[in-house]
Amino acid sequence: MNNPFNLASFRLIFIYTMLLSISVGLILTFLYFTSARDIEIEADQKIIKKVEDLNNVYLRYRGNGLISYIRRETSRPSLDIYRLYDANNNVLAGNVTEPNEIKVNDDGWIEFTYQINVNGEEEIYYGRGRDLVTPVENYRLLVGRVVNNEIKLKERFFYSSLWSIILIIFLGISGGYILSRNFLKRISDINITSKKIMDGNLSERLPTTKGKDELNQLSSNLNEMLDRLDSLMTNMKQVTDNIAHDLRTPLNRIRTNLEVTLMSNSDVDQYKKSIDDAIIETDNLIKTFNSILSISKVESGASDLDKSVININDLIMNLFDLYEPITDAKGIILNHDVDEEIKIEANNNLLSQAIANLIENSINYGSSNDAPAITIGAKKNKESVSLWVSDNGVGIQENDKKKVLERFVRLDSSRSLKGSGLGLNLVNSAAKFHNGSLKLLDAKPSGLIVLIEIPNS
Amino acid sequence: MHILLIEDDNDAASYVIKGLKESGHVVDRASDGEEGLYMALDSNFDVLVVDRMLPKLDGLNLIEKVRKEKTDIPILILSALGEVDERVKGLKYGADDYLAKPFSFSELLARLEALSRRNQPEASSSLLELGDLKLDLLSRKVEREGQVIDLQPREYKLLEFLLRRPNQVVTRTMLLEGVWEYHFDPQTNVIDVHISRLRSKIDKPFKGKQMLYTERGAGYALRYDE
Repeated sequence: MNNPFNLASFRLIFIYTMLLSISVGLILTFLYFTSARDIEIEADQKIIKKVEDLNNVYLRYRGNGLISYIRRETSRPSLDIYRLYDANNNVLAGNVTEPNEIKVNDDGWIEFTYQINVNGEEEIYYGRGRDLVTPVENYRLLVGRVVNNEIKLKERFFYSSLWSIILIIFLGISGGYILSRNFLKRISDINITSKKIMDGNLSERLPTTKGKDELNQLSSNLNEMLDRLDSLMTNMKQVTDNIAHDLRTPLNRIRTNLEVTLMSNSDVDQYKKSIDDAIIETDNLIKTFNSILSISKVESGASDLDKSVININDLIMNLFDLYEPITDAKGIILNHDVDEEIKIEANNNLLSQAIANLIENSINYGSSNDAPAITIGAKKNKESVSLWVSDNGVGIQENDKKKVLERFVRLDSSRSLKGSGLGLNLVNSAAKFHNGSLKLLDAKPSGLIVLIEIPNS
Repeated sequence: MHILLIEDDNDAASYVIKGLKESGHVVDRASDGEEGLYMALDSNFDVLVVDRMLPKLDGLNLIEKVRKEKTDIPILILSALGEVDERVKGLKYGADDYLAKPFSFSELLARLEALSRRNQPEASSSLLELGDLKLDLLSRKVEREGQVIDLQPREYKLLEFLLRRPNQVVTRTMLLEGVWEYHFDPQTNVIDVHISRLRSKIDKPFKGKQMLYTERGAGYALRYDE
């Protein structure tokens, strides 16, 4: 399984931790310089003052004066350090043993250690001071102070800073690890589920929790997407089944017809008739195929179906003109109902085909009235254009209305009539292609109104 | 007519060749784009029938190349890509007509006849005439046997379309495209009714002299038999 260290979230936390420890380090350094270092400087200044004082003592009283001054100062306990040498390096006075590990800094400060016998045990002390060399007798005086506490403080400061930074890094990284692992767990759950879905288990859904974080939103979005895909797939499967059925049936008829004709000792006329029938059947098959293809093309939103500004009045009048003779021959009254000039951006051929399908539907299925009538109409609304075809036939039952828009769906009442069950589906696709909608409404007192609404612009 | 068929599918080609030969035409065949281009440029054909998806040289590119040399040879595309936008593309490349597979043979035949006659000089007069049927393009007056026939605008357009193709078979699809400019097939026999209306005006009153014939399984033809 995935390593949490490889996760982006962990890397983010790591970088953040590093930045945080650097900041903490900087803050501690700043604190050190504003507090501890100040005390040190103050103490250093006292020593400088003392060196000046002692210099004055010497100038006035010479070596003896210094000795008595030092004796007086060292008679009571203090943190001050004195050690006076003569020109031959003999110790004349002082309160500390011989200093070791002497280190002379560039600025004249001397750092050293010395030993003190405490209860029979030698202890090392740290000192810091300056030399005062007298002009006449060439005495050398080391003046300083014990800096054990300061060093301890510094050390403590250093170590506590170090530890806090280590702690921050440790806590940050382990926290990041735990957080990442939780995050990873959820990601991995999503991964496992998506793998299952990939393997074909389309009913699986990604796990979601109550929260509203990004991961949850992502999961629910993906779930909704899956729902949609699922319904599309089901739809598609149904369509495929329908295609298989609707194409197989005529193919079967053709095949049987040809086979039986071949088997029987028919004469030329019978052969001709069989072939004629087969041609008619294949023509219908081709029509069905073409319809499926146009619907797919329209539904895929093919951008190469270009739109242009078309005149709806012309569109309706042309269709009226095309269908008027056939309705007339069938005793159906065909009306057109457009009052004003309507222009719209659309694909003329597609929209014409859609209306033509509706007119044909009305002719075939909506003319059961004693005085059948069909109306093709259009109206300009505020933000849309309505196009409709209405008839005064039997109409469509409310619960069938949704069904008839699907591919290959033919209501039982119309099964005996010729048709592919694709007409309304194409109308629906055409409406969608124009960003419009399709509605099936009841006409008064009877009949069906199919209404296409296309938004203006 | 001398026809060059450029089609890579052997079976499909052999059926088409058989059909065209039986209809009295001479057919040569090329089985790929390069051979087709060579033959088209090398000899004189009355019409080219070109499949779109061809090996070696694509049908559209072939047409483009042929067009550079021979600007007026009629070219018909046969293609499995039958949508309106595909046909527009085909025409843009220089084809004169476009027929989607699967097609009916009579449709192909009718369209080829129409294409080959397109190159014959059209009568410069404004009068279309066949036998005793006259159509004046300027006054929009139609007469037969000297009698004026009153036609609806669409009937007039339909008759004009037929008169421009005398003695030729015209299919329903050709009429839909040519007269109504629709590129879809209505499921009902709308065209038949239009034709029978027209027939009732130009044929019925003139007993014994039928001009507008129904060609079984193909379409219609306007003929005048002496």
